[in-house]
Amino acid sequence: MQSNKLGWILLAPTLVILFFFGVLPFLYVVFVSFHQWNPFAASPEMIFNGAENFRRIVFDDAFLNSLGVTVAFVVFAVLSELIIGYLLAQAFMKEFPGKSIFRTIHTLPLIMAPIIVGSVWKLMTTPSIGIIPHYLDEWFGITMNIGTSAPAAFMTIVIMDIWHWTPLVTLTLIAALVSLPRDPFEQAQIDGANKVQTFWHITLPMIIPAVVATVFIRLMDALRTVDEVWMLTGGGPGSSTRFLGVHIFKEVFPKTNYGYGSTISVIVLYLTIVVCWLLYVSMLAPRKNRKG
Amino acid sequence: MTEQNATQHDTAPLSEEENEKKPIATQESQGFLPIETNAFDRCFISVVIWVAMSLFWFRFIEPMGLSIWISNVIALAIAIHIVRKG
Repeated sequence: MQSNKLGWILLAPTLVILFFFGVLPFLYVVFVSFHQWNPFAASPEMIFNGAENFRRIVFDDAFLNSLGVTVAFVVFAVLSELIIGYLLAQAFMKEFPGKSIFRTIHTLPLIMAPIIVGSVWKLMTTPSIGIIPHYLDEWFGITMNIGTSAPAAFMTIVIMDIWHWTPLVTLTLIAALVSLPRDPFEQAQIDGANKVQTFWHITLPMIIPAVVATVFIRLMDALRTVDEVWMLTGGGPGSSTRFLGVHIFKEVFPKTNYGYGSTISVIVLYLTIVVCWLLYVSMLAPRKNRKG
Repeated sequence: MTEQNATQHDTAPLSEEENEKKPIATQESQGFLPIETNAFDRCFISVVIWVAMSLFWFRFIEPMGLSIWISNVIALAIAIHIVRKG
């Protein structure tokens, strides 16, 4: 009993902070999502409208379009980051000249704020002054304009995200690979397993928890990405890069539609939790030991 | 191999006696769900299903004239079933 009490006392500061900065704002957003609320209108009171915002959201073409674009972005970006991150992690496991310098340079994008990444990429992709459209035109004869071409804008954002966040994936996978025991690999080598078999039957099963944790982090981040996209394309051209985060921003700030914006936030949170939970269940959750 | 054994040991199913000694909220269920769950997990699954059903109902069923309350009653029944037998 004594140790239990001490445990709760030691946990109390964390729980209090978590309650005020995590639970309370979440409950408030859920509360607001059931209201119509424009705090800058002539009548700034919250008007309870039941589930009307949720009824509206399933018919909202702008929201559904944002959802589709976001899902496509998450799939492309996170999968690419995982594959490139794993290949780089494997490369960093070997010794080669200039490894430490390359590793430092490779990690640099991580320390940049997303808004800076967005503005740098905007400079690099602006047709008249950007280095990327210039060399694409000079070397391959390709005209790139992310202000008018929706696929170009989308792919630029995906590439920018991969450039920015692959180092995180690499670092976590290096940590996982370094901690693997050598014995199974030596045994596999003696048994004549090739590289694909070794990866599929030994490496992957042992690094799955690290992979899932990394995917969780990137998935949650990618689903709520705003600043880079806002800086680079502002959600355009049209609504081709209007991801959910940008959609919420446009709904809440320019339109000052706090109630509906909160509803979208709640749904995005719901989707994030469900996707992560499904991933956890499919990859890590202990299965029941059925008798018979 | 040592790590694999350690992982297996960590997730090894509890005996019935060990399981019954744990608090009710963390007791592992032997119900129909394919994964090991405690009471909180089953409540979470129920809420996820309730929200998904409600959104689906709003989009496809309610325009045909059936009230959302029907969905809520079905979701509640499913929730009770999952929490008790899941």
